Amino acid sequence: MIMSSVANVLETLAEEEAEGLGAQKEFPLMPEGQAVDMGHAEDGTPLIDPRIFDSPEFFRNPYPYYRILRDHYPVYHDKLHNCYWVTRYDDITECYFDDEGFNTIPKGSSSGVLGNTQLELSGIEHRRRRNLYGQHLVGQSLKARIPAIERLAEEMIADWDKAVGSEWVTEKDGVRTVALGKAFANEFPIRVVCEVLGFPKEAQDAFYYWYNSMMSGLGGSETHKQGLEARQHLEDYVAEIVEERRVKPTYLYDNDGNPVGKDIISKLCETKVDGDFLSTEEITSNIALVVGGGGETTRGAILNMWYLLLQHPDQFAAVSADESLWDRAFHETLRHSTPIGGQPRHNSFDVEMHGVTIPAGSLCQMVDFSANHDERIFKDPETFDIFREDLYSGKLLRSGYRKDGKCSHMAFGVGPHLCPGAWISHQEATVGSRILHKHMKNPRVNLEKMPKDIDGKSLAPIGLVSVRELWLDYDL
Amino acid sequence: MATVAEDQLVAGLNGVVITRRPGTSGPGYRTYEVHQRERVGESTEKIKPIQLVSEQYRQDPYALLEILRENYPCYRNWLSNSYWITRYDDVTSIFVDEGNFETRPKTWYYGLDNFGRDLRGELPVLVAQERGIDHNAAPLAESIVGEFAARGESDLAREFAARYPLEMLGRLLDLPDGDIGGFAERYWRMQRGITWEPNAQQSGLVALNDLVSYFEPLVEARRANPGDDMLSAMVGLDVEGGAVSAADVVVTLLEGDHQTLHGALANMWFLLMTHPDQFEVAQTDNRLLKVAYLETLRHSAPVLSAERFARHEVERFGKLIPEGAQLICSAAAANRDPRIFADPDRFIVDRRDMCQREPRGQYRADGLASGIAFGLGPPSRHPAIPEDRPRSLYAITRDTAVRASRVLLDMVADLRLQEGANPHLASLRVGEMHTCWKLPVSFSKR
Repeated sequence: MIMSSVANVLETLAEEEAEGLGAQKEFPLMPEGQAVDMGHAEDGTPLIDPRIFDSPEFFRNPYPYYRILRDHYPVYHDKLHNCYWVTRYDDITECYFDDEGFNTIPKGSSSGVLGNTQLELSGIEHRRRRNLYGQHLVGQSLKARIPAIERLAEEMIADWDKAVGSEWVTEKDGVRTVALGKAFANEFPIRVVCEVLGFPKEAQDAFYYWYNSMMSGLGGSETHKQGLEARQHLEDYVAEIVEERRVKPTYLYDNDGNPVGKDIISKLCETKVDGDFLSTEEITSNIALVVGGGGETTRGAILNMWYLLLQHPDQFAAVSADESLWDRAFHETLRHSTPIGGQPRHNSFDVEMHGVTIPAGSLCQMVDFSANHDERIFKDPETFDIFREDLYSGKLLRSGYRKDGKCSHMAFGVGPHLCPGAWISHQEATVGSRILHKHMKNPRVNLEKMPKDIDGKSLAPIGLVSVRELWLDYDL
Repeated sequence: MATVAEDQLVAGLNGVVITRRPGTSGPGYRTYEVHQRERVGESTEKIKPIQLVSEQYRQDPYALLEILRENYPCYRNWLSNSYWITRYDDVTSIFVDEGNFETRPKTWYYGLDNFGRDLRGELPVLVAQERGIDHNAAPLAESIVGEFAARGESDLAREFAARYPLEMLGRLLDLPDGDIGGFAERYWRMQRGITWEPNAQQSGLVALNDLVSYFEPLVEARRANPGDDMLSAMVGLDVEGGAVSAADVVVTLLEGDHQTLHGALANMWFLLMTHPDQFEVAQTDNRLLKVAYLETLRHSAPVLSAERFARHEVERFGKLIPEGAQLICSAAAANRDPRIFADPDRFIVDRRDMCQREPRGQYRADGLASGIAFGLGPPSRHPAIPEDRPRSLYAITRDTAVRASRVLLDMVADLRLQEGANPHLASLRVGEMHTCWKLPVSFSKR
């Protein structure tokens, strides 16, 4: 009797081994907005299986899982990925502001590809360097560049006429079908960055290639090596230009041919930090960051914005009637379908959050995605509504915005590391969209070409990454 | 983590409380100069991190570990946010370096800070443990083997190797007859809850609480009426922080485990049964049986790896290891390091290039390395050296495994693998004990 009991325990274990339950797990694809049942605790609390974070299901449909985390595990200790997920808006805000307590020390995530950048500095060193670059991407210096952004957009759209019959632009019975990503959004932000940085036009294609390789090589993924090579090439190219401009600065001109000032690289060449000129290495790695960071968010913002607006015809009609609404559409898109998921932080000291003790030096994943869908801040967060009352849609500030029931979204972060490209990204997306809107008559999503959800009918959810391609029809 | 005094709290909003580590005063971030040196940029094309949690790793991790050891001796796994250390000298250097690295208690994985005290190191407990094990080693083996000896066949993995340590634990604690089954079931669940699998975590937590309730009356009973068992020794301790409670007992059981005895017995008999020529050598005398046990721990260590955490930023293996980094020290990979052991994939009982004495960190008795199986604590932390102290747990386990195996050899003859049996080693779940779960053998009664 006693013995058989122990035998039963061991029998069960041997059976478990034979079944191979320990292997990787495939999760079923769920309808949008529903989570896979990963089990429940005795008190009914839903459980989270950390393998979900690597699954295709999570990539296409992350929001219901983040809701579980926010509601039941505001700080979730993920033992598989050896990290802590922080998912509530308030907590993330607090951690982002606490530059000392939650540092950005590189632990290998992106540094290999992006190099030593301000992304991974803290405190005064970060502030000093960030301003060197940041000042060129905002305010008057940016305003002077808006005509150039407009010109680039016009040029790219004009090129569609020549591309008819290609893979991404076709025409039939007075209706033109374009792949908006391939034909516009993927490349547009990179061209703008090149233009703003003052690189020659001939280099734009190379930059686009480098950008793509670097982005796919982030985080030590399988294409990491390609990313490293691309970065090296980009660096070599930029270093050459930097050396040239140290001797012979170049100038930017407005559309009428009047000089508007030196380009950013020429200015950086004469910038001093602590009495020393910036090294070429410092300039190139931060240029690489601007190129790398300038693309994905803006591309995602443009594609997601058009996708979401066209799925909500009344809101699209409103934007069509009032161009100033593009700003609201931009911010609501970034809140509803954030292109960049979040940022890693490492706590400098032992921290206790919501009863969970996080030892110093742990990886804390700040999930911007989840903050933007925090129902404690945004009412009915899964609904796309450019008129929502609780979203601030003015200029993004490092201090964030939280007044009179309005909150800024978290797509660009907040605090000292607020994306320095937030403002230029905003300009690219809205200026580009206005021009697109001008050229496309009666645009609609080409349902046949868009990927479908598991029911085979409705459109696939945007998920963790931006919509990969947006097929549009419009009348000529 | 220790409790923090109120005045050490730095900031608090939204439930966030930041505490400074005692003794730290720096800026809390890297200076630009240090930062400049850190260009990670390694590219590891020969292996993907997902392979280290794959079915292949669960069954036979050695081929994958060889890729790491020979190409990426300090491999940053970006999926599990950890560094994998795979060479013998590197692994041992991390194990013995208490100044720079720490091992976190299992209660931390459960999120149970200050739940109970770990009493494993207390002298009376160690004495009672040694006495109990030595007293029971042979009789327990005789009783277990006696149950299947007449049958002519048995599953050695389950009926012998897995059962022996559990019943030994029952005897050490002097649990009432009839409780051992329920205790064993909860004990296993509690140990297996140290994982990323949420249902097992949950079930482990429930089992842990069950065990606390189970031990509460027992603790009171032994307090009133102590015996000479290990539980009475724990209850009778006079330690800081008040009387020993059931939670302390359960935490002590959680932190220690029976895996090495179970795994070593199972793996040794698996290797002996699948290598008949070596079996011939091993059964000649007790010394060779002991050597077979040591070679088993080297060739097929049941505990594949141990986790260590960097106490602060430290430069190792040409890399800057950041504070708080998790290092997976792979004993399995180190034990097959060709820099240390000739022909490391072969199971050779009377191996000439392996130390036969107790491993003590990087110190190599007779100039020879030993297999890593117990994680190599810092020298002398196990109270093994003075005459009046008990032998180290390492030595006790070794002697017990040898004695139990000798009993088996004495009670049955002509031991061999059953026709058509195809035993193999595997973990139940990636990261758990790597051992043999089914080992059908036949024999004749002596």
